[in-house]
Amino acid sequence: MSNSQTTTAGIGAGPRSALSAWAHHHRQAALISVDKLLREPIASFLTVLVIGVALAVPSLGLSLAATVQGEISQIDAPPQLSVLLGQDASLEDADKLRTEILRKPGIADVKVVDRDSALADFVSATGLESLVQKLNRNPLPHTLWVYPSANTRLAGIEQLQVDLGSLAGVSQVILDSRWLERLNAFTDLLRTIAMVLGVVMSVGVVLTLGNTLRLGIEARRDEIVVIKLIGGGNAFARRPFLYTGLLSGALGGVFGGLLSGAALLMLDGPVKRLFDLYDQAPSVPSLILSELLVLISIGAILGLISAWYSVQLHLTRIKPR
Amino acid sequence: MDLVFDRVNKRYEHREALSDLSFEMRSGEMAFLTGHSGAGKSTLLRLLLLLDRASSGEVSVGGRPLSKVKESRIAKYRQDFGVVFQDHKLLADRSVYHNVALPLEIAGFTKRDIDRRVRAALDKVGLLDRERAAPDALSGGEQQRIGIARAVVARPKILIADEPTGNLDPQLSAEIMGLFSAFNSVGVTVIVASHDLALISRMSQRILTLDRGRLITLGGVSRGINE
Repeated sequence: MSNSQTTTAGIGAGPRSALSAWAHHHRQAALISVDKLLREPIASFLTVLVIGVALAVPSLGLSLAATVQGEISQIDAPPQLSVLLGQDASLEDADKLRTEILRKPGIADVKVVDRDSALADFVSATGLESLVQKLNRNPLPHTLWVYPSANTRLAGIEQLQVDLGSLAGVSQVILDSRWLERLNAFTDLLRTIAMVLGVVMSVGVVLTLGNTLRLGIEARRDEIVVIKLIGGGNAFARRPFLYTGLLSGALGGVFGGLLSGAALLMLDGPVKRLFDLYDQAPSVPSLILSELLVLISIGAILGLISAWYSVQLHLTRIKPR
Repeated sequence: MDLVFDRVNKRYEHREALSDLSFEMRSGEMAFLTGHSGAGKSTLLRLLLLLDRASSGEVSVGGRPLSKVKESRIAKYRQDFGVVFQDHKLLADRSVYHNVALPLEIAGFTKRDIDRRVRAALDKVGLLDRERAAPDALSGGEQQRIGIARAVVARPKILIADEPTGNLDPQLSAEIMGLFSAFNSVGVTVIVASHDLALISRMSQRILTLDRGRLITLGGVSRGINE
């Protein structure tokens, strides 16, 4: 043993200020976390993969729903309403009604289709001229084609249908929007499923990552006990685990973004083919930086929640004996 | 830092670990705590480190009643202590240097101060040349000296050692005790729990002997054992 007269007493200055020490501890904890992630690359990658998939699935669903819904709103403006007048209504009555309807909010245009033109169109479209000639009179009423404004949503159009039906002289209002309703309902369903999946998978991420961190806490039980015995509190012991959760979640967000971006690229063709049927040529948006940042943030927050839940449940219970 | 045990009792479920224990130690004093296994030595140390609370009575350290120390302040309170364990409790995945540096990292010392203090502590225990070694690569005696370096590196006010020579041969045990005396000589209060009466008898220090939780020897010096 050394005979040096040096003792530990009186050497060096005292500890840093509380704020400086706090910042230093955080820096150290972050470095320890990075080191531990790199030391176990396969286990770390699998954890990140699970988080990435969990984030990519709802993200993809929401992106698709937003794309489809956006396109629906642009399909040849909103559907047209056919307002059939009573048989006794004259063309003058139709013109008056047109003026009245045009004064309503949310109306882009109203066209009068007189019963003779309508019958001629019918004959031209169906080729049933001989049958029509046998009729004593034209059975078609004067009709108004009502075009709602382009930004009117389906719910507003349905309300307009009710309003127009209550006008004097109107016999029936027809709105041919079943296909649009179905598509809207489908995209609503897709969005809801994506959100439910998002919640379920977030809980899955918290539990999975929490369990991984629990194993990490158990593996470092001796170290935690020693730290607590020599004056390190729960905060000092838990910081590396919090950073591990934060980093794993953020990396999972990056991975989820890449997965989601790749899937969107693959879906671009099928979605285009679907909307070609409605004379639309949408482009499935590729992943943009802001969305990637949102995914990274969500991943980091979920990772932090997992880590917090795990250390509160397991680390704080470790008492030196 | 003065220590005062005032009519302290510690009761576990089916046994009384400490019974009506009263004694005082002045700042800078050194004492051996001895007694048979189960006499209450470890319980006394646990109360000092606030690993347990007294069932009744009061323990005061530096005039501060420990019953008043909140749970959230215990970690800070323990930073006044250096603790040497019988099983060393070194961290296998850290080098000798980083094991010794741990209390300084916890206390928030700068890198430069940590470096100077760790080297000084390792020099004091004669293991400066092993700073990069893994603890597992060291002998039992060397590991214990590393444990001591870690205990003293943050300049504790009180040094506690629980059976520090339990697994060491007599020569190494004497060297370890010599280190404790050296630290005591620079003003550190030292309490060493040991049942090695032969070793204690060679040190001229105060002895507290416990038997079934009661203090049966108080204030004498170990020389008295031989006499």
